[in-house]
Amino acid sequence: MERADIRKELQQLLGKEKVLTDDLDVMYYSYDSSFLTKLEPAAPVAVVMPRSTEEVQKVMRLAYEHGIEVVPRGAGTGETGGCVSLNGGIVLDLSSWDEIIEVDAANMQVVVAPGVIHARLNEELARYNLFFPPDPGSSQMCTVGGMVANNASGLRAVKYGCTEQYILGLEVVLANGDVIVTGGMKARCIKNVSGLNLTKLMVGSEGVLGVVTRIRLRCWPRPKARGIAMAVFDRLDDAPATVLDVYQAGILPSGIEILDSSAIQAVNQFKPEINLPEAEAILLFEVDGNPPSVDYEGAMIKDIAGKRARSVEWATDPRRMAQLWEGRSVTATAAARVRPDGSRIFAGEDISVPLSQVAETLRKIRALADKYDIKVVNYGHIGDGNVHTAPVINPENPEEVEKVLKLVDEIHLLAIEIGGSTTGEHGVGAVRRQYAEREHGLAVKYMKEVKKAFDPAGIMNPGKLI
Amino acid sequence: MEFRKLPPVREQIMKCVRCGKCRSVCPVFAEIKNETAAPRGHVFMVQMLRDGQVEPASAVYDKLGNCLLCETCSANCPSGIDVHELNAAARSYIYENNPSLGKELVFDTMWTRPGLLRAGTRFMGGAQRLGLQTLARNIGLTKILPGDLPKAERILTHIPARSARSLLPVINHARGEKKFTVGYFLGCATDILNPEVAKATVDVLTRNGCEVIIPRDSKCCGLPHIANGKLDTARRVAAHNIKLFNAYSFDYIISDCASCSSALSRKNMEFLLGGLKIEDEAFAFADRVMDLTCFLVEVLDVRLPDYEVEERTRVTYHDPCHLANAQGIKVQPRELLTRVPEVEFVEMNEANRCCGGSGTFSITHYDLSMKILDRKMDNAMATGAEKLATCCPSCMMQLRYGMERHHWNCEVVHPVELVSQSYRQAALKLKNAM
Repeated sequence: MERADIRKELQQLLGKEKVLTDDLDVMYYSYDSSFLTKLEPAAPVAVVMPRSTEEVQKVMRLAYEHGIEVVPRGAGTGETGGCVSLNGGIVLDLSSWDEIIEVDAANMQVVVAPGVIHARLNEELARYNLFFPPDPGSSQMCTVGGMVANNASGLRAVKYGCTEQYILGLEVVLANGDVIVTGGMKARCIKNVSGLNLTKLMVGSEGVLGVVTRIRLRCWPRPKARGIAMAVFDRLDDAPATVLDVYQAGILPSGIEILDSSAIQAVNQFKPEINLPEAEAILLFEVDGNPPSVDYEGAMIKDIAGKRARSVEWATDPRRMAQLWEGRSVTATAAARVRPDGSRIFAGEDISVPLSQVAETLRKIRALADKYDIKVVNYGHIGDGNVHTAPVINPENPEEVEKVLKLVDEIHLLAIEIGGSTTGEHGVGAVRRQYAEREHGLAVKYMKEVKKAFDPAGIMNPGKLI
Repeated sequence: MEFRKLPPVREQIMKCVRCGKCRSVCPVFAEIKNETAAPRGHVFMVQMLRDGQVEPASAVYDKLGNCLLCETCSANCPSGIDVHELNAAARSYIYENNPSLGKELVFDTMWTRPGLLRAGTRFMGGAQRLGLQTLARNIGLTKILPGDLPKAERILTHIPARSARSLLPVINHARGEKKFTVGYFLGCATDILNPEVAKATVDVLTRNGCEVIIPRDSKCCGLPHIANGKLDTARRVAAHNIKLFNAYSFDYIISDCASCSSALSRKNMEFLLGGLKIEDEAFAFADRVMDLTCFLVEVLDVRLPDYEVEERTRVTYHDPCHLANAQGIKVQPRELLTRVPEVEFVEMNEANRCCGGSGTFSITHYDLSMKILDRKMDNAMATGAEKLATCCPSCMMQLRYGMERHHWNCEVVHPVELVSQSYRQAALKLKNAM
């Protein structure tokens, strides 16, 4: 089907106001937050902004009939090129379909359209003393649909896990236009083991199996209290050892974050008033729950961390907590400031390693950065072994680009070599697909078979994930 | 200066990681809801222009025009990108390649000559008073205006008979001991549309020991030109104003208009004139520029006469983008309001969200502007305020129209008007007591 015909047909199906076909308009959909699409933007033939399951079905039937690639997209905050159509297909921009369809407080669940912004959902749930625990750094802008597609998590994954743990059921439009409901058509139950678990299959499938059009989420009671501990270490190895000590004492903080010396330096350069102590590592523990348990766990953490740390501070006063947490909250931003003529890039930014290997991983990443003479800033969710590396380069200098791509490749290989994964929470998309065989071996063959069962024509987000 | 050599174009485009934070705060994106209106999309398009991937065509201008230049994105950008400067630079580049006679007439001929601008608006004011505007609307004459103008002409609700310049002398002596000599940058909109604000400004400044000089020949601050793709004209008027004000020995140059003070700020001078011969003069000028509320609170530390107030007026405050986002001035106007004994200050939800006015935006993008305005009015009306204070004549005009549109009986004021009124009230009370 010719480009002009696809455009015309889509406009006829959904109306002009829901379809972008102008060459200029579609260019805006040629990127996400990945370094890949910064280097190689790829524009779709058309962008469709559906607001109902039926509209998605109409698009899928057309695409299926004519073998046109379809790429679902949320807010485009992903870092893998996952929501960009690499071969000039149709992009489904689901971000304006942002209804909170039903808060079912009696059953501790909520039903949402895919475009609902994470922070807005939690604002709404707070009215019912509920919350949806996964807490990505992009909470203000990312969509719940995008979180489902990437099985996103974030700062509180230590205690609350990833998105998949909260999905009770999904409505999915498949490549041929069929609509399935996973988790049971009418099920409002929390426990459900009937049938093959297609919900878990769909979560994290990055749009290669179908288009998620409705999400039933499990909510949890909102914690009443919170506290933050900051521990400062002179030896890097003492930081993960302390994390282990805390776990072994029977404490499960909601978040444990690490800043290594590169991140501490970056934060202090960016905002000198934060004035983090110079150290090899800083750990931030977040504890939440009921006030007495938070106080108890805070005191325990202070005691345990104090055995190895140079200093530990525990705070429950909201202002002081915000000050202590600020170092972590600005790290991603601060990274770019270590080089005034540079920019941080999102590549090799999300490896996940065994807890016991975190310190060694950080040391190895530093050595690799030295080898390629590239500045990097390391931080991450040490509580679950998720390391975020921010290379800072001039992205418009071809030599630096070439070097950083080699560095990123080595970081990914390092993760696999030490028994980890190339991605902990950001997903695979187009940028980590090349490691699929190394990570999963023969299983990739069966993953492809599963995809074929759902998408025999191979039109759902090709070139991604597997 | 060539588009590609402008500092933001040269240095900042590469810093955008397209994280999307700007999407979550942009008032235009909240209405249009697709990526073509996302600030990061604008940065991307400027990059495409820079790299020659798209031609500087008017269609690209229209895309970049879906932006209020409210600087909410710039103020919130984790990478510190001045998205508004990139957008303005690109608009100018595209305009240079697609000049229009209409824009030349408005922005080069009229808006650089204060006398002509005053005469033009006086004519419109005269027509309003004679009922011609209503007549023109009734017989459908306004419908022949181009673009959104038939609808947007309604925003220009009331043009006073006399401009501030015709009401105020050039030199206004300090009352009591003189502390400072202050140059008052009287902006076009305050001059023509809000002369009462200018009178209050001079009143409050002179009461507090300032000799206030209003240089006769000052021109527009240049912001309308920046917004409309006329960077060269903006540079020209800036250079004129710099030389004019630098010829005096002012301790401070004060503006009661958020847009003017942001256009005259060092940040904007760096954007417009950085690297040019006039740079040093421009910075010497800009470093003395200060917003009126900042000056009253931080430098003069104005304290109003305290007296028994029988009934206080409920007042809320709208942050003009060019004050809150562009200059980070949020506390001072509120502080000033709370120092007025007659004021019961009440904060509105989303006080620092744009009202959709943004100078000429409400004229060029009427429907979009109204959607943004309606959200602002919902927030403002929920406070139950009797007066809505703000520090920008463009916001004032837009908010007045919003009140009319929503049939809300409330008054738009500049904080300095309440301060001036309070002085007079206190004096009256004292007189009556004697």
